Amino acid sequence: MTQAKTADVVIIGGGVAGLSTAMQLAGRGASVQILERERLGNGSTGRAAGLLGQLRGNAEHTRMLIDGVTIVRELEETAQVEIFVPTGSLRIAEVPERAAEISALVEMGKSIGFDIDHMEISEVARHMPYMRTDDLIDACYCPTDGHLQPAELVSAYIKVGKQRGVEYKTNTPVTEIMVDGGRVRGVRTPEGEYHSSVVVNAGGPWSYLNAELADTVLPTAAIGHYYLTTRPDANHPVDRLSPAIRDRQLRIYTRPESGGLIVGIYDEEPELHDMRKLPVDFDMSRMKAARDSIQVARLIDAAHQRFPWIDERTPMTITTGIMTFTPDARPFCGKMPNVEGLFHCSGFSGHGIVQSPAIGLIMSQLILDGASTYDVESIEADRYFDMPGYLKRGDIESKCVTMAGNYYGKVERPEPVAGAQSA
Amino acid sequence: MKILVPTKRVPDTDQKIVAAADGLSVAVEHLPFVVNPFDAIAVEEAVRISERSTDTEVVAVGIGGEGYDQQLRTALAMGATRGVHVQTAHALDPWNVARLLRAVAEREQPDLILMGKQAVDDDANQTGQFLAALLDWPQATFASRLELLEGEIRVDRETDHGIETIRLPLPAVVTTDLRLNEPRYASLAGIMKAKKKPLDVIAAEELDVPLEPRVEVLRYSSSDTKRRGERVSSVKELMERLEAASVL
Repeated sequence: MTQAKTADVVIIGGGVAGLSTAMQLAGRGASVQILERERLGNGSTGRAAGLLGQLRGNAEHTRMLIDGVTIVRELEETAQVEIFVPTGSLRIAEVPERAAEISALVEMGKSIGFDIDHMEISEVARHMPYMRTDDLIDACYCPTDGHLQPAELVSAYIKVGKQRGVEYKTNTPVTEIMVDGGRVRGVRTPEGEYHSSVVVNAGGPWSYLNAELADTVLPTAAIGHYYLTTRPDANHPVDRLSPAIRDRQLRIYTRPESGGLIVGIYDEEPELHDMRKLPVDFDMSRMKAARDSIQVARLIDAAHQRFPWIDERTPMTITTGIMTFTPDARPFCGKMPNVEGLFHCSGFSGHGIVQSPAIGLIMSQLILDGASTYDVESIEADRYFDMPGYLKRGDIESKCVTMAGNYYGKVERPEPVAGAQSA
Repeated sequence: MKILVPTKRVPDTDQKIVAAADGLSVAVEHLPFVVNPFDAIAVEEAVRISERSTDTEVVAVGIGGEGYDQQLRTALAMGATRGVHVQTAHALDPWNVARLLRAVAEREQPDLILMGKQAVDDDANQTGQFLAALLDWPQATFASRLELLEGEIRVDRETDHGIETIRLPLPAVVTTDLRLNEPRYASLAGIMKAKKKPLDVIAAEELDVPLEPRVEVLRYSSSDTKRRGERVSSVKELMERLEAASVL
């Protein structure tokens, strides 16, 4: 067995969460070792669409996303790569409940100085010539939204991380988390041990299994997700900068991609994956949908309702992957009371790419300073600690599946902002 | 017109395949199974033909054990008219599959048999050819384009020397290659209709084909996929290493 290596921080998982955290920690002088079971950015990260809707129902969450864009802009400069594609975004409504959602969002956004406003349907139609608009009753437009390109973001995190001295080991699964007297002291892999007083669990869908290695219950679940990407079609040109769309009533989101259109669905009955029952050396980038998958069929059906030129015969690829959901769709970032030095960083519920820039910063603050400049109450790792109903795997999975199934289904009510103030 | 589409159930070869501990089979635990991709192309082509001309029946056939009903329901959801599951637990090889398919073809009397050029688990590329010979029908393999004409079929074949275009009278056997089409995913309507479509199950014995294995699997072993490469830090170092290894 090779001699044990030592680092200030060992990070389990080489997706955007782990890579961003590593980059930020190394920027403050910490020695960081990333251990990735397969290839960097080849898990959920590699399957993501990367849509960035900065305005969320919660002001602090919004602030994290907006700051994340600033971090991305800096990364673009340093790594000389285009990450953020500023398409702007449109939220559309075809029924009164969804129109009410839009109005509430516009009001909330304006109260914090966010660039958002209602848009006339006729103007929506002009922006989106390839989309059906005759059934729409309201829409709002956020010109500063867009999407982050996952591959470019990953390469930037790695480039800057390497410059700062981060070490990366791939094809190296973590088989044990070593805990002594309630303190973490490192991890074990088939290649040997890595000693550290800080271990970060950024394992995405595998994060609940990693947590179990340290006798910890992490309430995340692995939820299947699908989107289609149409091939470029001269009859239905899709401009690279045409806005991303969110149609919550149909449960779909869309954005331009390489001359075609991505349409993804938050299905009402998502699949739960058991991460213990995967093929050997599971490669998520090669995951396939069954030809008669009901989720794919519902995706195509929903896409067809908004984009009538899309049906099951349209030349397209179906991308399927696994998201890490939590019971409230907010991630777990930080420590649990039972193990000192073990920080969790997962459960991004379909928003890992866009949250990763700010989350990396927050994790580095929590690890090095014991506190963050952001209000992290809603993303605390221990918020369900030892809570009945959040202890058994079955209960956790059922709650996460429900959350994922309602993700676009439930009508949203943004939290009221205490005292309207300009950002 | 009746089109017979034999389909094989295979492991998803995009995931890692390893030999079982006893070396007599492939380890199938947690491995997803799919319709053989080339057979899915055949199903798609047959469904497209049936969409263009009413009065076309597409019969999907599967030969094997459990799991084939799921397979055939997939073909039905994609648009096949009917399914036939020839049930057997017997080990099979292309020769015996072809003999069973001949028996099915003699019952069904199709005008066209459309099937994948090979299965991605064994890459045998034999069954279609055996079947055509057994039936004494003309064959066109590696089809990248298909055109149905009156009583005959025009096929572009992908060969090592380029595209060969041939014409065959029907009935004929055609095997599909990658570029023939892009198979669809089933629509919601397709999935719902599939539940009501007939799926007949026949025991292989009913077909009166004594199964005589011609292939005996001696051993499966996994290849060592550990990379033996080494990272060098610069082009200069690369040149030095290549020179030292007498490659340059």
